Amino acid sequence: MEKLLQMAKKASDQAEVFSISYSDDAVYFENAKLNNMDSKVQSGVSLRIIKDGKLGFAYTRNLIDRQELLQNALDSLKGGVEAKYDFPLTKNLPKLDTYDSSVEKVSGSQMVEECTRVCDAIKSQTDSEIEAASFVHTSDLRILNTAGTDVPTKSGYYAIFANPIYPGTGVGVYRIFVKKGFQKTPDELIDELIKLYKLSSKAISPRGGRMKVLFMPNSLITLNWRISSGTSSKSVYEKISPLGDKMGEKVFSEKVSIYDDSLDDKYPGARAFDDEGVACRKYAVVEGGVLKSYYYDLEYAGKLSAKPTGNGFRTGMWGGDPIALKPTPAFSRMTIKPGNKSFWELVKSMDRGIIVENALGAHSGNIPNGDYSIGADPALYVENGEIVGRVKDAMVAGNVYETLKNVVDLGDTLHPSQDDAWVPAILCDDVSVATKG
Amino acid sequence: MFQKLRDILSKVDADYADVRYESKKDTVISFNGKELTEIGLNTTDGFVLRALKGGGMASTVFTKESDVDKATRKVTENAQLIGRNSKEPVRLAKTEVVKDAFSPPLKEDPRKIPIQEKLELVRKYNDIPLSNEKIATTSFIYQEIIREKHFVSSEGSEIKEDLVTTRLSGGIVSKDGNLTQNVRVAMGGSNGFSTIRNQEHYVEDRTRVVVDLLSAKPIRGGTCNCVFNPSMAGVFTHEAFGHFSEADLIENLPTMREKMKLGNKLGNEVLNISDDATMPDQLGFYKYDDEGVKVRPTALMKNGVLTGRMHSRRTAAAFGEPISGHCIAQDYRFPPIIRMGTIFIHRGTLSLEELLSRLGEGYYVLDAKGGQTSGENFTFGAQHGYRVEGGKIKEMVRDINISGNLYETLKNIVALGDDFVLSKTGGCGKGPGSQTNIRSCFGGPHILVNNLVVGGA
Repeated sequence: MEKLLQMAKKASDQAEVFSISYSDDAVYFENAKLNNMDSKVQSGVSLRIIKDGKLGFAYTRNLIDRQELLQNALDSLKGGVEAKYDFPLTKNLPKLDTYDSSVEKVSGSQMVEECTRVCDAIKSQTDSEIEAASFVHTSDLRILNTAGTDVPTKSGYYAIFANPIYPGTGVGVYRIFVKKGFQKTPDELIDELIKLYKLSSKAISPRGGRMKVLFMPNSLITLNWRISSGTSSKSVYEKISPLGDKMGEKVFSEKVSIYDDSLDDKYPGARAFDDEGVACRKYAVVEGGVLKSYYYDLEYAGKLSAKPTGNGFRTGMWGGDPIALKPTPAFSRMTIKPGNKSFWELVKSMDRGIIVENALGAHSGNIPNGDYSIGADPALYVENGEIVGRVKDAMVAGNVYETLKNVVDLGDTLHPSQDDAWVPAILCDDVSVATKG
Repeated sequence: MFQKLRDILSKVDADYADVRYESKKDTVISFNGKELTEIGLNTTDGFVLRALKGGGMASTVFTKESDVDKATRKVTENAQLIGRNSKEPVRLAKTEVVKDAFSPPLKEDPRKIPIQEKLELVRKYNDIPLSNEKIATTSFIYQEIIREKHFVSSEGSEIKEDLVTTRLSGGIVSKDGNLTQNVRVAMGGSNGFSTIRNQEHYVEDRTRVVVDLLSAKPIRGGTCNCVFNPSMAGVFTHEAFGHFSEADLIENLPTMREKMKLGNKLGNEVLNISDDATMPDQLGFYKYDDEGVKVRPTALMKNGVLTGRMHSRRTAAAFGEPISGHCIAQDYRFPPIIRMGTIFIHRGTLSLEELLSRLGEGYYVLDAKGGQTSGENFTFGAQHGYRVEGGKIKEMVRDINISGNLYETLKNIVALGDDFVLSKTGGCGKGPGSQTNIRSCFGGPHILVNNLVVGGA
């Protein structure tokens, strides 16, 4: 890596080498039986150079020919992509506990055993067709640049997923449990899943209308994507953010506080620096409903004459290949401040409404404008504080800037959502629900 | 390369094994608004090894040749572990041994066109919306993805196939005060660079739609009847039905499998649906899947009755149904899974005017904006639509998302148009790691669908 950086330095004004290797092991259960296993060992190197204010970018899986990689980056300079920023000098980062080395020792048999145990527990009490999976991931990342930054990090996680499926539907209520190293799936989690499944087994057709909607962590990608779009420096620069002129103003209910916080190493995936080597920090994006900050990578900080906030990540809406993607502004770890009600207390406080367990089509509304229109998959129907069944074909629609003004309460526990945010369940009032009832 | 792959397979002690090596060339030219944000050509590569041993089948992906021993060990260990834990051993349906090298016929090979020429063309299209004062920004991304695949199996198949995908995708965002609206831009195909040329009128039309959307009303939520244009009919077929004709999604869901038995009537009798990746000059075209099976036209539904299914070798054996050649990976980072190639509703006989007149009251809904399926439920969005009254098109509506149900909605497709259009770009995510199939192709005629749930205020 050092050699590549030196070669790149000779040929340009500034250079950055992003090097990553990662491994994944997965086991998959279908209908409570082991069905498939796959494993992956991948690595790659990505090079950015800046010369005369222009950016060159190239990547490879196998650094066999450094000269070829450098030449690809030099070729891409000719396109004339502007770079109004410098690679940073980052040092004295806080030491984070990102890696539990026991994760390396989690064997395929152990994952199979744990999935079997969880499936058996659910099966003994339900008629569901259970889908389950377990994952182990480790990653080594290093970023070097010609400003003198050399920041490595090693991280890993163990996760288990269980989804009891209502027969004949292919749909279920799922939960994910993720830790830095192997831990037995807590009995409370399995019991809650069984309880939820049983309560929602009956399909019902209530009438639609405006009602309370409890967005569960698995469904919150719907709102998170729209918040991420609205508070991104990229949207602000393109003048398409509805929050572009609202700094310091109240944009959501005072109950809503949203932080970017990848420093908290209680959870897997903590990071002291972003994918451009800029230090991450915890800061408020929205606090007490008031817009406090946008988030910036190097490029958009440069374009908007602002300071980078440690939010340059090589990721897309559906993940993507980190070596092939250029950094763009992204939350390091969106964290929504929890409230103080348990899930069951939230349910109890609902006169009439639905619980959106999972969202279908979160990607297909008008994200920049904050509009969403999702299939609730499934939607559990609540009447007088009790779950009475599940609604088929329910659609929930609204605009994030309206919905999050009507927050009744937030759950007291953070869970991982599909976009790697850590969020509580959020209960909102007066949300439009369309049904066939 | 074949020799290297044969050597890898010789190290695998298994009942069956195959290995795929891919070199992938990606060209990207990306504009955000008037600014060029990315340009370049890069090559990456890697291996996918699969093994069947002791009744279990597992896969492993590796990008460094030096990891081959580790990969070989792991894949056989995992296969055996599965075998020990399962009562029904995995079997693979028979397929012919193939030795072939295939390059698709191209109308202008994109590899022979200088990147500067591509850049100028993308810039020209991008400038069209930007010259309109109501346009806030654009995202125009040209991508050329060339997969050069080598496949070798322990049964003796040796196949080289190139998949050349060119696409220009992205979106246009309009703005009025604090309201923004967007539409997608999608052009491209599997048969060369010519699919990207001469698209000025198309880009002008998209620009007009996104500007008009600024004064459109949000659609009202509730249940209604709709006419879909071919783009919507295509994504609808893909989401509402296609995914459940992928055998791996139902293989281990006994109750759904029962409902999806061949011979069951699931759709209206006007409905015929096929998947046919062998049709030339369309996005979904390929010759062999990533198990070395030649893809076949597959009739999925005839007169509303289930007649066929898309299979891997493994599911074909498990279902006792014919192999179809639908087991496809995104690239060298993934093992193959069952994928639609080109799925469509066969055309009917009615003109658009006749369909609208049959609709009477409802919506005319156009241009897909992404869909998603989970079990029996699906949702999909439209970029814009019009309210229809007395069979006549009225004002434009926006924020259209529709949900439906596999078992009910297909019965509600009551009439078919006499036209036929297939999609030009794809992007269906499925399975672990959300593999994206950029060649996922769908289409059909205009269709009339009753009793849909539409989300809205």
